[in-house]
Amino acid sequence: MTFFSKLQVLDFTGELGPYTGKMYAGLGANVILVEPISGSPLRRIGPFYMKRPGTETSLPHLYFNAGKRGLALDLTHEQGRQVFRDLCARADLLIESCAPGYLDGMGLSYEVLRRNNPKLVQTSITPFGHSGPLSGAVGADLTCAALSGFLHLAGIDNEKPVRAPDNQSYRMAEAYASVGSAIALYGAQRTGQGQFVDVACVEACAMALESSPQHWNLEGRIRRGRGREAASGSIHPCADGYVVLVAIVTNSKASWDAFANWMRDEDVEDWSTFANDKWLDSRYRKSQEGYETLCRIFEKYAATRTKFQLYETGQKHNVAVSPVSNGRDLLENPQLTHRGFWQRVRNEALGGDVVYPGAPYELGEIQWRFGCNAPRLGEHTSVILRELGFPPSDVGEFKKSGAVYAE
Amino acid sequence: MQNSVMGMLDGIVVCDFSWAGAGPIATAVLAQCGAEVIKIESASRPDPTRSSEPFKDGIRKGLNRSGYFANRNANKKSLALNMTHPSARDVAVRLIAKSDIVINNFRVGQMEKWNLGWERVKEINPRAIFVTMSLQGTSGPHSRYMGYGVNLNALCGLTERAAFPGVRPFGTGTNYTDHVIVPAHTLFGIMAALLEREGTGRGQTVSISQLEAAISMVPTAPLAYSTNGETVGPLGYGDPEAVPHGVYRTLGYCGWIAIAVFSDNEWTSLKKVMGNPIWAEEDRFSTSQARRLHEDELNGRIEQWTATCYADWLMDELLRHGVKAGVVKDGREAVEDEHLRRREFWRYLEHPEMGTTLYNRAPIVFSDTPLSTKTAAPLIGQHTEEVLAGMLGYSAEEIEQLSREKVLI
Repeated sequence: MTFFSKLQVLDFTGELGPYTGKMYAGLGANVILVEPISGSPLRRIGPFYMKRPGTETSLPHLYFNAGKRGLALDLTHEQGRQVFRDLCARADLLIESCAPGYLDGMGLSYEVLRRNNPKLVQTSITPFGHSGPLSGAVGADLTCAALSGFLHLAGIDNEKPVRAPDNQSYRMAEAYASVGSAIALYGAQRTGQGQFVDVACVEACAMALESSPQHWNLEGRIRRGRGREAASGSIHPCADGYVVLVAIVTNSKASWDAFANWMRDEDVEDWSTFANDKWLDSRYRKSQEGYETLCRIFEKYAATRTKFQLYETGQKHNVAVSPVSNGRDLLENPQLTHRGFWQRVRNEALGGDVVYPGAPYELGEIQWRFGCNAPRLGEHTSVILRELGFPPSDVGEFKKSGAVYAE
Repeated sequence: MQNSVMGMLDGIVVCDFSWAGAGPIATAVLAQCGAEVIKIESASRPDPTRSSEPFKDGIRKGLNRSGYFANRNANKKSLALNMTHPSARDVAVRLIAKSDIVINNFRVGQMEKWNLGWERVKEINPRAIFVTMSLQGTSGPHSRYMGYGVNLNALCGLTERAAFPGVRPFGTGTNYTDHVIVPAHTLFGIMAALLEREGTGRGQTVSISQLEAAISMVPTAPLAYSTNGETVGPLGYGDPEAVPHGVYRTLGYCGWIAIAVFSDNEWTSLKKVMGNPIWAEEDRFSTSQARRLHEDELNGRIEQWTATCYADWLMDELLRHGVKAGVVKDGREAVEDEHLRRREFWRYLEHPEMGTTLYNRAPIVFSDTPLSTKTAAPLIGQHTEEVLAGMLGYSAEEIEQLSREKVLI
């Protein structure tokens, strides 16, 4: 038995929080998704399987909640709270993303929950955390990205910033919540005492400021995003999309020469413009002339090549050029195919297959697994209640009273 | 046992070969939990971020003034070790023998070149957890391809959607994947291996493919394509649920506010804060579907109003009415943010060359064992003697000898 195959995790999250439990499910932990009777709000989020909106067809739900079993209960119902307390009494880790104070108001504070289970770790993922002046405020992915300073970086000069996809404020908090939970579990294993772990999206986002706080603190400068310095993370159109180009790092002549050689070997018109040390000076690369010169010469060549051709040829010349991938590029990416990254999984309830991203980490002795399909609403309610020791008569009564929902 | 609050990872030793972005961020978190992180560097091959801006007072001089480096390396010890020297390996071997975690983010094959790959490390110390952070995995046709965070942003699919329709995509403006996605997955793998070791007594490998970790947090585009043949395309400010949902101009240079309205109740509250203008009562804005159909017009109307407001006052007013809103803060405003300061997210540490300068803790608040940020980033080689004489048991003569041979630079 590995540590993780014995680990009991409760996941009481919705749109914010589901990736944390998925990280544990991948290692074989027993993760139970606890949903309200109306279903996790994540179920409302598209895109949907075969573009058919419905409770069981949300692709984000199918992905983020894969590997978990599901139970639906009503916390406003005393019997629902009883089930929740019983689940917590045998859990190692509770992950939740309720508004601060909500569970306390239900009589389910951490102090109450750990009374019968001192080793319980509770990890709470919220927009602003459980302390500080904004802890009671409402928050969303976009507003957390804005307040943290992360969003501001996604633009140049006085341009409006652009938003990262897939709710990265939430994802960053979830990733760090996985880490914080594991650290607390490590402590609990040694001391027998769990603790409360508070993870705020706004702080997780502030991890992604690169050097912007230090630009202010050390030099009194406000920085914005990179992207219009020639060949230093600049993005260029090609025949079928875009590529990103990093041809120079810390002003290294070797990296720039590799790029110039690539242009020479391809017989790019005006390639010799690049055989000049002025390109080693970041001031030139940042100048309008430098940027526009690079765009003019490189993009004329790039227009005749696909992003994948540029990727292969450039990398052969030791230039850090990469495609700006879309979904199709990723599924057809030979490296990911070679590594067996994509997971094609049959889903009987949908009557078809779905292809999912696979293992995000590899351990030598613990095989990552996709696990079972994401649960249908209430799919495992009855079996989990039986595992908790409720006799069938109780289960029937809970269902009838609306304290739980079982399919 | 210390009398002060225990760190959760007190007693854990990290032999840290990692450099640049993602590796040092991961080991910095371990250090904040009490682990002793020994960063192996060499003046002949320093961590490249030591030469990355910003620099204290803008002065680019020496290897100890970079804020980019500093914030990723607080609470660590720097051991100067020139691994190209044949005598250096013995020092590394002694450190590995004492370490719980051995981590690197070199290109595939570098540790093996030093005869310090997993097979060898396992013999030196069977309890060691051996961590590698390759860009795209250690096998496969692209396993030796080059790239930085900004390449991974693009490769993983994030950049394509972090864009406004019809113009070239932009991304996050940073090496995004380096800062959160890759270090967090690495840390999770490390903690999983530590937890597992409690039972087995054995270390194991933790391998992160930075690309695969990144895709896992940006899954929508491949899911939509594989299932529906759908190319989801640039996101703009769009949200599948919220409308209005955007970033709106306010007073001041680069003054913007983000507003996200998910429910009809929130829409009603937004209207109230706007002063219930007549246009907002029209049928074409009355339901979420209707608002989505007329989203451009709606956003234009809202911006006409926000453009006359101060962003901070407006945010307070909107939050008070239960509308999700946030000022788009720049680096200075984030550093001065009251909420982050009250939560002690920002830390100021005393650095011998940079003075009192800015750091942040990891975004995890433990109720019983708070993260600790005690010492600023190390000067290069600052702890070489201390580590060799203390933990590694070298005599003064041996250290002298190694110094003379230029092993410890």
